[in-house]
Amino acid sequence: MIPVLLIDDDIELTKLLEEYLQGEQFDLNSAHDGPSGLEKALNNSYSVIVLDVMLPGMSGLDVLKQLRQKSSVPVLMLTARGSELDRILGLELGADDYLPKPFNPRELVARLRAILRRTSNTTPATSAQPVHIADLEVHPESRSVTCGGKPVTLTGAEFDLLYTFLRSPGKIISREDLTQAALGRPMSPMDRSIDVHVSNLRRKLGAYDGNHERIKAIRGSGYVYLLPGEQP
Amino acid sequence: MKFRTLFVKIFLWFWLAAALIIGVFVLMVRISYNESLPERMRSSYGEALSLYAEAAAHTYDHDGLRAFNEFVARSQRESGTLVYLFETDGRPITSPGDENIAAVLHDIQAHPQQGRYYRLISGRVTWGRPVPAPSGHNYIFVARLSAPSLGPPFAVSTPRVAVSILIAGLGCYLLALYLASPLKKLQSAVQAFAKGNLNARVAPELGNRKDELAALGRDFDHMAERIAALISSQKRLLADISHELRSPLARLSVALELARKNSNEKSAAALDRIEKEGERLNKLVGQLLALTRLESGAEEILPETVMLEELVQQVIDDASFEAKPLRKEVRAIQLDACRVIGSPELLRSAIENVIRNAVRYTPPETTVEVALRWKLDNAVLTVNDHGPGVPEAELEHIFEPFYRVSEARERTSGGAGLGLSIADRTVKLHGGSIVATNSDSGLLITIQLPLAPSQSNNNGDQSQAAFSPAPLASG
Repeated sequence: MIPVLLIDDDIELTKLLEEYLQGEQFDLNSAHDGPSGLEKALNNSYSVIVLDVMLPGMSGLDVLKQLRQKSSVPVLMLTARGSELDRILGLELGADDYLPKPFNPRELVARLRAILRRTSNTTPATSAQPVHIADLEVHPESRSVTCGGKPVTLTGAEFDLLYTFLRSPGKIISREDLTQAALGRPMSPMDRSIDVHVSNLRRKLGAYDGNHERIKAIRGSGYVYLLPGEQP
Repeated sequence: MKFRTLFVKIFLWFWLAAALIIGVFVLMVRISYNESLPERMRSSYGEALSLYAEAAAHTYDHDGLRAFNEFVARSQRESGTLVYLFETDGRPITSPGDENIAAVLHDIQAHPQQGRYYRLISGRVTWGRPVPAPSGHNYIFVARLSAPSLGPPFAVSTPRVAVSILIAGLGCYLLALYLASPLKKLQSAVQAFAKGNLNARVAPELGNRKDELAALGRDFDHMAERIAALISSQKRLLADISHELRSPLARLSVALELARKNSNEKSAAALDRIEKEGERLNKLVGQLLALTRLESGAEEILPETVMLEELVQQVIDDASFEAKPLRKEVRAIQLDACRVIGSPELLRSAIENVIRNAVRYTPPETTVEVALRWKLDNAVLTVNDHGPGVPEAELEHIFEPFYRVSEARERTSGGAGLGLSIADRTVKLHGGSIVATNSDSGLLITIQLPLAPSQSNNNGDQSQAAFSPAPLASG
């Protein structure tokens, strides 16, 4: 059984989900408000945390912000459908993926499995070597990154995204492939989350010389990680 | 400064009025002064001059030319009065003087019985009369008086008039400023409010004015307060409705999956149906909320530059993915690079609704043709299906919520009749227009959106088009 924490104020829904996820080999523990959810998340070790953004009192985004200061546990956000701002803020604050509410529970299970697949699969045996490109050093075994000698804190999804880029620098990678690699799931229609992750990565790494982007968008194709010499 | 502003109008009209009043006043003073001159000349003033004339005649007649010359010099030195004496036939005793003196002399010679003559020339009075000396000899006396002593009581010289008009202008300027500046502040507050800044207020700008303009400002503030309260309560209500309607739906879908696990083959179809209806309900709630947000003005747009061709391409990709199982196709005929200002998410959903609607009504084995063209200052998006079209009389109604076109377009794939309404409101919110017409093949929907200002004079710049970070939604 995989331990999962669900932070959602809808008590009836959490009960139903507990029952449903039980059958899918998830051990669902639930909290119904922000502070108690945060406490549970910090004091127990869960494989994934499912966090509703619309919580009474302390909002889900605040919970996420505080959680990320101490823990890098994968977080799947539940957002209100149509609230793009919540979704983007959540991904920027370090959520790994999101699911608009109301959701199909089968989709929830698929997303949870994708996150788990990605996080359990952290050290690919073939390429566990540290990657050193320009001012960037990436250590897959410790999942740590330094940029210009300074450590950079990345979420799991961002790390996998960067690692995917660095395995083929200078080559265009499609948004579908990046989604598959970074989020462990196929890209769905209308899915812009990979773009948010890319923009977070850009922001955290900074630009070359302060004004040349590391990651360039290629319209209709995807993204490319540029080497310092390849500046357009 | 614009020429037709209230400030300029108040300033110029008041100044014109002030200048006119000053002008009329000056004119009246001058006329009345001139008219009262004979009166004053006859009165004691004239008596004094007569004595002066007699003294001059006596001096010459009795004391000789030398004493008279001295008299003339002293008179000019002490009072500025020029004194001339003539024989009755017009021969000057000393100097003849200028032509004004000569003119007065001539008048006196022509009508000696009338006595005194005077002329007012450039503010100075030239006065004369025949005068008998004690010896019995007659002379003609003419004097020109110095200006100040006889000028109008209130100095109305041209420079002074000009200065007073300028001072009046300054006063009018301040008055216009005083009247027009609160209006300016009110206007900027109203504009800010209209642009969506619900916190725009006038009262702090007006200080402690107490007049009607200040009252108008306070009335605006009350109105703004009320509208802001209404909009925020509307937003809260929408969020509550959204939450309250969707929570049961979320529970329903989990319960459904649980039921599915424990069910046998026979109930699978019914469960599928429940799931489908649940999704339909969920979608409808979403659309209703979106439409209400758009119509109530509760929708906040964080404007950003949207690369429309990219957005349209993405929607086409998604739509053709969904159309393929139905043996339909969505194809882009032409996609010009168009930049518009607005919310990418709202525009995406508007375009998606229109294209989905076309996919729904186009028959299998046909293609929905989409084109994005750059025309003057607009991006023009056309979506053409091969469906039955819409009766001409009903064309303008298809953007109304839940409007159903007679029998021709029955519900087939769960369209709630809100998609086009949402598209319509969204496009209008972005300052564009949406029109439905019947083309040769089917229904043709045309959306026009104003281009971003930078592109209006810069047609489809390719370097700009090549630089395209994926559009990140932010609102």
